[in-house]
Amino acid sequence: MARTAPLLELIGLSKSFGGVKAIDDLSLVIADSGVTSLVGPNGAGKTTLFNLITGFLVPDRGRIMLRGRDITRLPPYKVARAGVARTFQNLRLFPTLTVFENVAVACEASDITLSEKNVSKLVDSTLERVGLLARRDVRVADLSFAEQKFVSLARAIVRPANLLLLDEPAAGLDGRALERFHQIVRSLAAEGRSVLLIEHNLDTVRGISDSVAFLDQGRLIATGTPGEIFAMEELAALYFGDDR
Amino acid sequence: MISYLESLLIFTALAIILASSLNLVLGYGGMFSVAHAVFYGVGAYTASLLALHLSNSLVLSILCAIITGGLAGLLLAVPALRVKEEYFVVASLGFQIIASTVFNQWDAVTGGIGGLTGIPPASLFGYEIDSYGAHLVVTSLLAAAVLAIVAALMRSSFGRALRALRDDEQALSSLGRNPTHLRLVTVALSAMIASVAGVLYAYFTSFVNPESFTLDESVMMMVMVIIGGAGTVWGPPLGAAFVTIFPALLSFLKLPSSLLGPVQRLTYGVIMTLLMIYEPAGIVGLLRWVRRRQIILNGINGSNRAAA
Repeated sequence: MARTAPLLELIGLSKSFGGVKAIDDLSLVIADSGVTSLVGPNGAGKTTLFNLITGFLVPDRGRIMLRGRDITRLPPYKVARAGVARTFQNLRLFPTLTVFENVAVACEASDITLSEKNVSKLVDSTLERVGLLARRDVRVADLSFAEQKFVSLARAIVRPANLLLLDEPAAGLDGRALERFHQIVRSLAAEGRSVLLIEHNLDTVRGISDSVAFLDQGRLIATGTPGEIFAMEELAALYFGDDR
Repeated sequence: MISYLESLLIFTALAIILASSLNLVLGYGGMFSVAHAVFYGVGAYTASLLALHLSNSLVLSILCAIITGGLAGLLLAVPALRVKEEYFVVASLGFQIIASTVFNQWDAVTGGIGGLTGIPPASLFGYEIDSYGAHLVVTSLLAAAVLAIVAALMRSSFGRALRALRDDEQALSSLGRNPTHLRLVTVALSAMIASVAGVLYAYFTSFVNPESFTLDESVMMMVMVIIGGAGTVWGPPLGAAFVTIFPALLSFLKLPSSLLGPVQRLTYGVIMTLLMIYEPAGIVGLLRWVRRRQIILNGINGSNRAAA
């Protein structure tokens, strides 16, 4: 039974702050693998949705099911252990720790039985994957912004989490860094992981997503393939404003 | 004179154990606790009662004190960590006041205000530790062991997680670590180490009373950590040495005894304020600064010579 349940199922989620409905009766199913982009204008509730899924916020109504298991009221660390990894828009790295230590903490956080050697191996292979092995022992505070973004990505992917929530992971990346990022996200999906990402750059969305969910004012307006979503005139009007 | 020096060094070693253990909570864990003297006291009373009624074995005393100290740590941490972390200091203050009351009033166990007297010397592998020299050796060795343990701990995965907790608690929990659990373990561990200092203190002075485990003592331990450099391995021992030895140096100034206390306190207050403003990393921070300057100066001299 549990195997056949979808990876992530959001059922009638609502969350208000004061009188403002940040998320309004939102239901969504995320597939076992592939890349889903959450798009929508600022204030659409994308980051709030991430915070609800990862336990940083508790919904007013509705349920969050991970493989058929209700994780709605679990604290963030339990959601993480259930197999959900996330990044933050403002990165939230550990600035006084080195690159290696940042990723090692992530590695050990959900499994403290890992031996030092295994942690080292896992972390180093992840750092190699994101292109930061050479910067392994540098304090994170001394890295460039792009490098810091890749540390945050490494921290999220080092564990075998099935569901990755990436909050604007490509913002501020360009050229080769952006290309590397695309390639990593595609390879994660190819490994059978499911990636849910918040993204403003529509070229990135087109380039790496299997499906797109469009949010506006806390409601799910449309879902579909990138081609389908971008063909909808009314969504473009919502996204770019009517004065385009 | 020799015994005076030895006694000063023993108290320095005890202070090093206390400051290093408090540093785990305050420096690395980022929790301000003004209850550290409680665990020192719990260790001291545990050893005293054990020695008076059962056994004066140092090893057994330390093991028992680690257990009672750890339990006392949990007694503080379990309720204190249910409130927001900013209130930890308030909770610890309450804990210190309650513990002081217990030390003072529970006559049947702690001997009340009079305390416990006539504690026999400790025995270690058949030897009695009864001279100042022997006490100094044992206390110094244990202080060195505590420093080594703290240093190793901070390099381990536990230490990494603790430093990450101080940097960003929410990020750590998003990775799957329970921050409350981590804090709990840290407070208990820190209390266990502090209680070992209590054991050594009880056997050294051969009597204990509540005077030694007051809020004032807790605050002085905090002063040691902050002056030395919170969150560094070498800061707290340096701070401990400074705070213990400074009053002894001051006594050479032949100040009237009524002035000694106020001068000491004023000095600590001024030093702490200046450090908070100019060098939050304490004495260790100052030493780092001096070393950086030296490297730079050497570099300049070196290039001058090369130019000449």
